[in-house]
Amino acid sequence: MTTPIVQIQNVSLTFDQFVALDKVSLDVHVGQCTVICGPSGSGKSTLLRCINGLERFQSGDVLVDGTSLRQCRDLPKLRLNIGMVFQHFELYPHMTVLDNITLAPIKAKKLPKAEAQALAWHYLERVGIADQAGKFPGHLSGGQQQRAAIARALALQPKVMLFDEPTSALDPEMISEVLYVMRDLAKDDGMTMLVVTHEMGFARKVADDMIFMDSGRIIEHSSVEEFFDMPKAVRTKEFLNKILTKF
Amino acid sequence: MDWNVIVVSLPLLWKGLLTSLNLTAVSIAFSFPLGCLVAMGRLSHRPWLSNTCASFVHVFRSNPLILILFWFYFLMPMIIGSAINDLTSLIVTFVIFFSAYFAEIVRSGIQSVGTRQMQAGLSSGLTHVQTMRHIIMPQAIRAMLPALTTQCIIVFQGTTVAYIIGYNELLHSASMIAERTVRPIELYLTVAVIYFVVCYSGSLLARRFEKRTYS
Repeated sequence: MTTPIVQIQNVSLTFDQFVALDKVSLDVHVGQCTVICGPSGSGKSTLLRCINGLERFQSGDVLVDGTSLRQCRDLPKLRLNIGMVFQHFELYPHMTVLDNITLAPIKAKKLPKAEAQALAWHYLERVGIADQAGKFPGHLSGGQQQRAAIARALALQPKVMLFDEPTSALDPEMISEVLYVMRDLAKDDGMTMLVVTHEMGFARKVADDMIFMDSGRIIEHSSVEEFFDMPKAVRTKEFLNKILTKF
Repeated sequence: MDWNVIVVSLPLLWKGLLTSLNLTAVSIAFSFPLGCLVAMGRLSHRPWLSNTCASFVHVFRSNPLILILFWFYFLMPMIIGSAINDLTSLIVTFVIFFSAYFAEIVRSGIQSVGTRQMQAGLSSGLTHVQTMRHIIMPQAIRAMLPALTTQCIIVFQGTTVAYIIGYNELLHSASMIAERTVRPIELYLTVAVIYFVVCYSGSLLARRFEKRTYS
Protein backbone atom coordinates (compact mmCIF):
# COMPACT_ATOMS: atom_id res chain seq x y z
CA MET A 1 0.00 0.00 0.00
CA THR A 2 1.09 3.58 -0.59
CA THR A 3 2.11 5.93 2.19
CA PRO A 4 -0.94 7.17 4.14
CA ILE A 5 -1.82 10.81 3.44
CA VAL A 6 -2.55 11.41 7.12
CA GLN A 7 -0.46 9.66 9.73
CA ILE A 8 -1.30 10.22 13.37
CA GLN A 9 1.45 8.84 15.53
CA ASN A 10 1.04 8.41 19.27
CA VAL A 11 -0.57 11.79 19.76
CA SER A 12 -1.35 12.83 23.33
CA LEU A 13 -2.99 16.07 24.40
CA THR A 14 -4.03 17.25 27.85
CA PHE A 15 -5.92 20.40 28.85
CA ASP A 16 -4.79 21.17 32.39
CA GLN A 17 -5.69 17.87 34.10
CA PHE A 18 -8.05 16.55 31.46
CA VAL A 19 -6.64 13.99 29.06
CA ALA A 20 -8.23 14.81 25.69
CA LEU A 21 -6.14 12.44 23.60
CA ASP A 22 -4.20 9.51 24.94
CA LYS A 23 -1.57 8.07 22.57
CA VAL A 24 -3.78 8.02 19.50
CA SER A 25 -2.42 6.51 16.30
CA LEU A 26 -4.27 6.39 13.01
CA ASP A 27 -3.43 6.16 9.30
CA VAL A 28 -5.70 7.47 6.60
CA HIS A 29 -5.06 6.50 2.99
CA VAL A 30 -5.85 8.48 -0.13
CA GLY A 31 -9.48 8.12 -1.17
CA GLN A 32 -10.55 6.66 2.13
CA CYS A 33 -13.57 7.87 4.07
CA THR A 34 -13.11 7.37 7.80
CA VAL A 35 -16.01 7.97 10.16
CA ILE A 36 -15.25 8.70 13.80
CA CYS A 37 -17.92 8.34 16.45
CA GLY A 38 -18.05 8.21 20.21
CA PRO A 39 -19.63 9.94 23.19
CA SER A 40 -19.16 13.68 23.66
CA GLY A 41 -15.88 14.57 25.27
CA SER A 42 -14.22 11.47 23.86
CA GLY A 43 -11.73 13.50 21.82
CA LYS A 44 -13.19 13.12 18.31
CA SER A 45 -13.19 16.81 17.47
CA THR A 46 -9.89 17.37 19.19
CA LEU A 47 -8.34 14.67 17.04
CA LEU A 48 -9.60 16.35 13.86
CA ARG A 49 -8.28 19.69 15.03
CA CYS A 50 -4.86 18.21 15.64
CA ILE A 51 -4.65 17.27 11.98
CA ASN A 52 -4.70 20.88 10.78
CA GLY A 53 -2.82 22.30 13.73
CA LEU A 54 -5.71 24.14 15.35
CA GLU A 55 -4.90 22.19 18.48
CA ARG A 56 -1.34 21.73 19.77
CA PHE A 57 -0.60 18.25 21.07
CA GLN A 58 2.07 17.67 23.70
CA SER A 59 3.58 14.47 22.37
CA GLY A 60 3.55 12.36 19.25
CA ASP A 61 3.31 13.74 15.73
CA VAL A 62 0.93 14.15 12.82
CA LEU A 63 2.14 13.88 9.24
CA VAL A 64 -0.01 15.31 6.47
CA ASP A 65 1.18 14.35 3.01
CA GLY A 66 4.59 13.67 4.51
CA THR A 67 4.89 17.00 6.35
CA SER A 68 5.31 16.82 10.09
CA LEU A 69 3.09 19.22 12.04
CA ARG A 70 5.56 19.27 14.88
CA GLN A 71 8.31 20.59 12.64
CA CYS A 72 6.08 22.63 10.36
CA ARG A 73 7.20 26.27 10.13
CA ASP A 74 4.43 27.34 7.78
CA LEU A 75 1.09 26.13 9.12
CA PRO A 76 -1.02 28.33 6.81
CA LYS A 77 0.56 26.67 3.77
CA LEU A 78 0.01 23.21 5.20
CA ARG A 79 -3.63 24.04 5.94
CA LEU A 80 -4.28 24.79 2.27
CA ASN A 81 -4.15 21.01 1.79
CA ILE A 82 -6.80 20.39 4.41
CA GLY A 83 -10.38 21.57 4.11
CA MET A 84 -12.42 21.81 7.28
CA VAL A 85 -16.18 21.91 7.82
CA PHE A 86 -17.55 22.90 11.22
CA GLN A 87 -20.62 22.01 13.22
CA HIS A 88 -21.86 25.61 13.18
CA PHE A 89 -20.78 26.32 9.57
CA GLU A 90 -18.67 29.34 10.53
CA LEU A 91 -19.44 31.21 7.34
CA TYR A 92 -18.33 34.83 7.53
CA PRO A 93 -21.60 36.74 8.11
CA HIS A 94 -20.32 40.03 6.68
CA MET A 95 -19.56 38.62 3.23
CA THR A 96 -21.69 37.15 0.46
CA VAL A 97 -21.52 33.43 -0.09
CA LEU A 98 -19.33 33.99 -3.15
CA ASP A 99 -16.89 36.17 -1.19
CA ASN A 100 -16.82 33.61 1.61
CA ILE A 101 -15.57 31.07 -0.89
CA THR A 102 -13.07 33.23 -2.76
CA LEU A 103 -11.44 34.84 0.31
CA ALA A 104 -8.88 32.16 1.11
CA PRO A 105 -8.06 31.27 -2.53
CA ILE A 106 -7.33 34.96 -3.21
CA LYS A 107 -5.59 35.90 0.03
CA ALA A 108 -3.87 32.68 1.02
CA LYS A 109 -3.36 30.93 -2.32
CA LYS A 110 -2.81 34.19 -4.22
CA LEU A 111 -5.08 33.14 -7.06
CA PRO A 112 -6.26 35.88 -9.42
CA LYS A 113 -9.77 37.01 -8.53
CA ALA A 114 -11.34 35.74 -11.76
CA GLU A 115 -9.84 32.30 -11.30
CA ALA A 116 -10.99 32.13 -7.67
CA GLN A 117 -14.50 33.11 -8.72
CA ALA A 118 -14.58 30.48 -11.44
CA LEU A 119 -13.58 27.91 -8.82
CA ALA A 120 -16.23 29.21 -6.45
CA TRP A 121 -18.95 28.92 -9.09
CA HIS A 122 -17.82 25.41 -9.93
CA TYR A 123 -18.12 24.24 -6.33
CA LEU A 124 -21.35 26.16 -5.73
CA GLU A 125 -22.84 24.24 -8.69
CA ARG A 126 -21.38 21.12 -7.21
CA VAL A 127 -23.18 21.54 -3.88
CA GLY A 128 -26.31 22.79 -5.63
CA ILE A 129 -26.58 26.36 -4.36
CA ALA A 130 -25.23 28.45 -7.25
CA ASP A 131 -28.42 30.52 -7.09
CA GLN A 132 -27.49 31.67 -3.56
CA ALA A 133 -24.03 33.03 -4.44
CA GLY A 134 -24.89 36.70 -4.03
CA LYS A 135 -26.70 36.32 -0.71
CA PHE A 136 -25.36 36.81 2.78
CA PRO A 137 -25.13 33.65 4.90
CA GLY A 138 -27.85 34.90 7.27
CA HIS A 139 -30.39 34.64 4.45
CA LEU A 140 -29.70 30.96 3.75
CA SER A 141 -31.24 27.93 5.42
CA GLY A 142 -29.03 25.83 7.69
CA GLY A 143 -28.60 23.16 5.06
CA GLN A 144 -27.67 25.72 2.42
CA GLN A 145 -25.20 27.34 4.80
CA GLN A 146 -23.47 24.07 5.49
CA ARG A 147 -23.29 23.30 1.76
CA ALA A 148 -21.78 26.74 1.21
CA ALA A 149 -19.24 25.95 3.91
CA ILE A 150 -18.40 22.69 2.14
CA ALA A 151 -17.95 24.58 -1.14
CA ARG A 152 -15.69 27.02 0.67
CA ALA A 153 -13.49 24.21 1.95
CA LEU A 154 -13.44 22.50 -1.47
CA ALA A 155 -12.39 25.69 -3.23
CA LEU A 156 -8.96 25.28 -1.65
CA GLN A 157 -8.76 22.05 -3.63
CA PRO A 158 -7.54 20.22 -0.55
CA LYS A 159 -6.16 16.70 -0.40
CA VAL A 160 -8.06 15.89 2.76
CA MET A 161 -11.43 17.05 4.08
CA LEU A 162 -12.25 17.15 7.79
CA PHE A 163 -15.90 17.22 8.84
CA ASP A 164 -16.58 18.05 12.48
CA GLU A 165 -20.17 17.01 13.24
CA PRO A 166 -21.40 18.68 10.04
CA THR A 167 -25.08 17.87 10.58
CA SER A 168 -25.43 18.16 14.37
CA ALA A 169 -26.64 21.75 14.28
CA LEU A 170 -29.12 21.24 11.45
CA ASP A 171 -32.88 20.88 11.49
CA PRO A 172 -33.78 17.24 10.77
CA GLU A 173 -35.18 17.92 7.30
CA MET A 174 -31.94 19.52 6.18
CA ILE A 175 -29.57 16.79 7.25
CA SER A 176 -29.96 14.66 4.16
CA GLU A 177 -29.10 17.41 1.65
CA VAL A 178 -25.74 17.85 3.38
CA LEU A 179 -25.11 14.13 3.69
CA TYR A 180 -25.83 13.65 -0.05
CA VAL A 181 -23.20 16.24 -0.91
CA MET A 182 -20.72 14.45 1.34
CA ARG A 183 -21.60 11.06 -0.08
CA ASP A 184 -21.04 12.24 -3.65
CA LEU A 185 -17.77 13.76 -2.60
CA ALA A 186 -16.57 10.44 -1.21
CA LYS A 187 -18.03 8.18 -3.90
CA ASP A 188 -17.67 10.23 -7.09
CA ASP A 189 -14.58 12.30 -6.36
CA GLY A 190 -12.82 9.78 -4.17
CA MET A 191 -12.05 12.57 -1.71
CA THR A 192 -10.10 11.56 1.37
CA MET A 193 -12.39 12.34 4.27
CA LEU A 194 -12.41 12.17 8.04
CA VAL A 195 -15.92 12.63 9.37
CA VAL A 196 -16.97 12.99 12.97
CA THR A 197 -20.66 12.16 12.97
CA HIS A 198 -23.38 10.11 14.59
CA GLU A 199 -25.25 9.62 11.32
CA MET A 200 -24.86 5.87 11.27
CA GLY A 201 -26.90 5.47 8.08
CA PHE A 202 -24.37 7.66 6.30
CA ALA A 203 -21.49 5.77 7.90
CA ARG A 204 -22.82 2.39 6.78
CA LYS A 205 -23.22 3.50 3.16
CA VAL A 206 -20.22 5.75 2.69
CA ALA A 207 -17.47 4.95 5.18
CA ASP A 208 -14.59 2.62 4.43
CA ASP A 209 -13.29 2.63 7.99
CA MET A 210 -15.02 3.14 11.29
CA ILE A 211 -13.47 4.41 14.47
CA PHE A 212 -14.96 4.45 17.93
CA MET A 213 -13.36 6.72 20.50
CA ASP A 214 -13.83 7.00 24.24
CA SER A 215 -11.89 8.94 26.89
CA GLY A 216 -9.32 10.15 24.41
CA ARG A 217 -8.51 6.70 23.05
CA ILE A 218 -9.36 4.79 19.91
CA ILE A 219 -11.30 1.84 21.29
CA GLU A 220 -12.19 0.27 17.99
CA HIS A 221 -10.93 0.67 14.45
CA SER A 222 -12.45 -1.64 11.91
CA SER A 223 -14.17 -1.94 8.56
CA VAL A 224 -17.80 -0.86 8.30
CA GLU A 225 -19.18 -4.39 8.14
CA GLU A 226 -17.22 -5.56 11.16
CA PHE A 227 -18.03 -2.43 13.12
CA PHE A 228 -21.79 -2.70 12.78
CA ASP A 229 -22.21 -6.47 12.63
CA MET A 230 -19.66 -7.73 15.10
CA PRO A 231 -17.97 -4.98 17.09
CA LYS A 232 -15.05 -6.24 19.12
CA ALA A 233 -15.15 -3.95 22.12
CA VAL A 234 -17.93 -4.07 24.71
CA ARG A 235 -17.92 -0.30 24.92
CA THR A 236 -18.62 -0.06 21.17
CA LYS A 237 -21.55 -2.45 21.49
CA GLU A 238 -23.02 -0.42 24.32
CA PHE A 239 -22.63 2.81 22.38
CA LEU A 240 -24.12 1.39 19.19
CA ASN A 241 -27.04 -0.05 21.13
CA LYS A 242 -27.73 3.34 22.60
CA ILE A 243 -27.58 5.39 19.43
CA LEU A 244 -29.28 2.80 17.20
CA THR A 245 -32.17 2.27 19.61
CA LYS A 246 -35.48 3.07 18.00
CA PHE A 247 -38.64 3.57 20.00
CA MET B 1 -34.50 87.35 30.87
CA ASP B 2 -32.36 89.22 28.43
CA TRP B 3 -31.57 87.11 25.39
CA ASN B 4 -29.69 89.93 23.77
CA VAL B 5 -26.67 88.96 25.83
CA ILE B 6 -26.60 85.63 24.01
CA VAL B 7 -26.71 87.25 20.59
CA VAL B 8 -23.81 89.49 21.54
CA SER B 9 -21.74 86.66 22.97
CA LEU B 10 -22.45 84.19 20.15
CA PRO B 11 -19.01 84.61 18.54
CA LEU B 12 -17.31 83.76 21.85
CA LEU B 13 -19.58 80.79 22.49
CA TRP B 14 -18.99 79.58 18.94
CA LYS B 15 -15.24 79.78 19.54
CA GLY B 16 -15.69 77.85 22.80
CA LEU B 17 -17.68 75.15 21.04
CA LEU B 18 -15.01 74.81 18.36
CA THR B 19 -12.36 74.50 21.06
CA SER B 20 -14.38 71.77 22.78
CA LEU B 21 -14.89 69.93 19.49
CA ASN B 22 -11.19 70.25 18.68
CA LEU B 23 -10.21 68.85 22.07
CA THR B 24 -12.65 66.00 21.50
CA ALA B 25 -11.35 65.24 18.01
CA VAL B 26 -7.69 65.25 19.01
CA SER B 27 -8.41 63.16 22.11
CA ILE B 28 -10.30 60.55 20.09
CA ALA B 29 -7.73 60.58 17.28
CA PHE B 30 -5.05 59.49 19.73
CA SER B 31 -6.95 57.58 22.41
CA PHE B 32 -8.79 55.27 20.00
CA PRO B 33 -5.64 53.89 18.31
CA LEU B 34 -3.96 53.64 21.72
CA GLY B 35 -7.05 51.83 23.01
CA CYS B 36 -6.84 49.39 20.08
CA LEU B 37 -3.22 48.61 20.94
CA VAL B 38 -4.08 48.13 24.62
CA ALA B 39 -6.98 45.84 23.64
CA MET B 40 -4.70 43.72 21.44
CA GLY B 41 -2.24 43.60 24.33
CA ARG B 42 -4.93 42.41 26.72
CA LEU B 43 -5.89 39.62 24.33
CA SER B 44 -2.28 38.54 23.90
CA HIS B 45 -1.13 35.12 25.06
CA ARG B 46 1.96 36.64 26.67
CA PRO B 47 1.08 37.06 30.37
CA TRP B 48 3.40 40.03 30.98
CA LEU B 49 1.77 41.95 28.12
CA SER B 50 -1.84 41.11 28.91
CA ASN B 51 -1.32 41.80 32.62
CA THR B 52 0.32 45.15 31.94
CA CYS B 53 -2.49 46.21 29.63
CA ALA B 54 -5.14 44.97 32.05
CA SER B 55 -3.55 46.98 34.89
CA PHE B 56 -3.47 50.07 32.69
CA VAL B 57 -7.18 49.71 31.98
CA HIS B 58 -8.10 49.03 35.60
CA VAL B 59 -6.07 51.91 37.03
CA PHE B 60 -7.48 54.56 34.71
CA ARG B 61 -11.04 53.28 34.76
CA SER B 62 -11.01 53.30 38.55
CA ASN B 63 -10.06 56.96 38.88
CA PRO B 64 -12.07 60.09 38.14
CA LEU B 65 -10.99 62.07 35.10
CA ILE B 66 -10.52 65.20 37.18
CA LEU B 67 -7.99 63.48 39.44
CA ILE B 68 -5.92 62.35 36.47
CA LEU B 69 -5.90 65.92 35.20
CA PHE B 70 -4.65 67.01 38.64
CA TRP B 71 -1.81 64.58 38.26
CA PHE B 72 -0.74 65.80 34.88
CA TYR B 73 -1.36 69.49 35.55
CA PHE B 74 -0.31 70.06 39.16
CA LEU B 75 1.75 67.09 40.28
CA MET B 76 3.72 66.13 37.17
CA PRO B 77 5.39 69.57 36.95
CA MET B 78 6.50 69.17 40.57
CA ILE B 79 7.96 65.78 39.83
CA ILE B 80 9.74 66.65 36.60
CA GLY B 81 10.58 70.15 37.76
CA SER B 82 9.26 72.13 34.82
CA ALA B 83 5.82 73.43 33.87
CA ILE B 84 3.64 71.65 31.37
CA ASN B 85 1.39 73.88 29.29
CA ASP B 86 -2.38 73.69 29.66
CA LEU B 87 -3.12 72.12 26.35
CA THR B 88 -0.46 69.42 26.64
CA SER B 89 -1.59 68.28 30.06
CA LEU B 90 -5.22 68.27 28.91
CA ILE B 91 -4.50 66.20 25.82
CA VAL B 92 -2.27 63.76 27.67
CA THR B 93 -4.95 63.33 30.35
CA PHE B 94 -7.76 62.78 27.87
CA VAL B 95 -5.77 60.44 25.65
CA ILE B 96 -4.65 58.22 28.51
CA PHE B 97 -7.95 58.26 30.37
CA PHE B 98 -10.21 57.60 27.40
CA SER B 99 -7.90 55.04 25.80
CA ALA B 100 -8.67 52.80 28.77
CA TYR B 101 -12.38 52.98 27.91
CA PHE B 102 -11.80 52.52 24.18
CA ALA B 103 -9.62 49.51 25.00
CA GLU B 104 -12.51 47.82 26.80
CA ILE B 105 -14.92 48.50 23.93
CA VAL B 106 -12.48 47.15 21.34
CA ARG B 107 -11.66 44.12 23.46
CA SER B 108 -15.28 43.14 23.95
CA GLY B 109 -15.93 43.81 20.26
CA ILE B 110 -13.19 41.43 19.19
CA GLN B 111 -14.29 38.85 21.73
CA SER B 112 -17.89 39.09 20.56
CA VAL B 113 -16.85 37.70 17.18
CA GLY B 114 -15.65 34.53 18.86
CA THR B 115 -12.78 32.12 18.47
CA ARG B 116 -14.65 29.86 16.07
CA GLN B 117 -14.54 32.46 13.31
CA MET B 118 -10.82 32.79 13.96
CA GLN B 119 -10.42 29.02 13.61
CA ALA B 120 -12.46 29.00 10.42
CA GLY B 121 -10.14 31.61 8.95
CA LEU B 122 -6.97 29.87 10.11
CA SER B 123 -8.16 26.48 8.91
CA SER B 124 -8.60 27.88 5.40
CA GLY B 125 -4.91 28.74 5.22
CA LEU B 126 -5.13 32.43 6.11
CA THR B 127 -2.51 33.77 8.48
CA HIS B 128 -3.41 35.18 11.88
CA VAL B 129 -3.05 38.75 10.60
CA GLN B 130 -5.14 38.07 7.48
CA THR B 131 -7.86 36.46 9.58
CA MET B 132 -7.88 39.46 11.92
CA ARG B 133 -8.00 41.90 9.01
CA HIS B 134 -10.58 40.23 6.77
CA ILE B 135 -12.76 38.23 9.17
CA ILE B 136 -12.54 39.38 12.78
CA MET B 137 -12.10 43.16 12.58
CA PRO B 138 -14.89 43.91 10.06
CA GLN B 139 -17.35 42.09 12.31
CA ALA B 140 -15.86 43.51 15.52
CA ILE B 141 -16.05 47.11 14.28
CA ARG B 142 -19.66 46.58 13.23
CA ALA B 143 -20.40 45.26 16.73
CA MET B 144 -18.51 48.10 18.43
CA LEU B 145 -19.96 51.04 16.47
CA PRO B 146 -22.83 51.90 18.85
CA ALA B 147 -20.56 51.73 21.92
CA LEU B 148 -17.81 53.69 20.14
CA THR B 149 -20.22 56.45 19.17
CA THR B 150 -21.53 56.66 22.73
CA GLN B 151 -17.96 56.81 24.04
CA CYS B 152 -17.20 59.72 21.69
CA ILE B 153 -20.12 61.61 23.22
CA ILE B 154 -18.68 60.92 26.66
CA VAL B 155 -15.30 62.26 25.52
CA PHE B 156 -17.03 65.44 24.31
CA GLN B 157 -18.72 65.86 27.68
CA GLY B 158 -15.46 65.01 29.43
CA THR B 159 -13.71 67.98 27.83
CA THR B 160 -15.62 70.21 30.28
CA VAL B 161 -13.09 69.09 32.89
CA ALA B 162 -10.75 71.59 31.22
CA TYR B 163 -12.84 74.20 33.04
CA ILE B 164 -10.95 73.63 36.30
CA ILE B 165 -7.63 74.65 34.83
CA GLY B 166 -9.22 77.65 33.15
CA TYR B 167 -8.92 76.42 29.58
CA ASN B 168 -11.31 78.25 27.27
CA GLU B 169 -13.58 75.49 26.04
CA LEU B 170 -17.34 75.97 25.76
CA LEU B 171 -18.28 75.70 29.43
CA HIS B 172 -15.46 77.94 30.63
CA SER B 173 -16.22 80.59 27.97
CA ALA B 174 -19.85 80.58 29.03
CA SER B 175 -19.05 80.97 32.70
CA MET B 176 -16.71 83.89 31.94
CA ILE B 177 -19.42 85.64 29.98
CA ALA B 178 -21.97 84.84 32.68
CA GLU B 179 -19.78 86.44 35.33
CA ARG B 180 -19.07 89.50 33.26
CA THR B 181 -22.69 90.11 32.19
CA VAL B 182 -24.33 88.75 35.34
CA ARG B 183 -26.69 86.72 33.16
CA PRO B 184 -25.97 83.13 34.37
CA ILE B 185 -29.43 81.71 33.66
CA GLU B 186 -29.45 82.74 30.01
CA LEU B 187 -25.91 81.56 29.44
CA TYR B 188 -26.09 78.22 31.20
CA LEU B 189 -29.42 77.51 29.49
CA THR B 190 -27.87 78.22 26.11
CA VAL B 191 -24.86 76.08 26.85
CA ALA B 192 -27.14 73.27 28.00
CA VAL B 193 -29.00 73.46 24.68
CA ILE B 194 -25.74 73.36 22.72
CA TYR B 195 -24.46 70.30 24.62
CA PHE B 196 -27.84 68.63 24.19
CA VAL B 197 -27.94 69.20 20.43
CA VAL B 198 -24.42 67.84 19.90
CA CYS B 199 -24.76 64.86 22.23
CA TYR B 200 -28.28 63.91 21.26
CA SER B 201 -27.48 63.88 17.56
CA GLY B 202 -24.56 61.65 18.50
CA SER B 203 -26.81 59.17 20.26
CA LEU B 204 -29.27 59.19 17.36
CA LEU B 205 -26.33 58.18 15.17
CA ALA B 206 -25.41 55.43 17.64
CA ARG B 207 -28.96 54.12 17.52
CA ARG B 208 -28.85 53.95 13.73
CA PHE B 209 -25.72 51.80 13.93
CA GLU B 210 -27.50 49.40 16.26
CA LYS B 211 -30.20 48.60 13.75
CA ARG B 212 -27.92 47.63 10.89
CA THR B 213 -27.58 43.96 10.08
CA TYR B 214 -25.76 42.08 7.36
CA SER B 215 -27.72 42.14 4.13
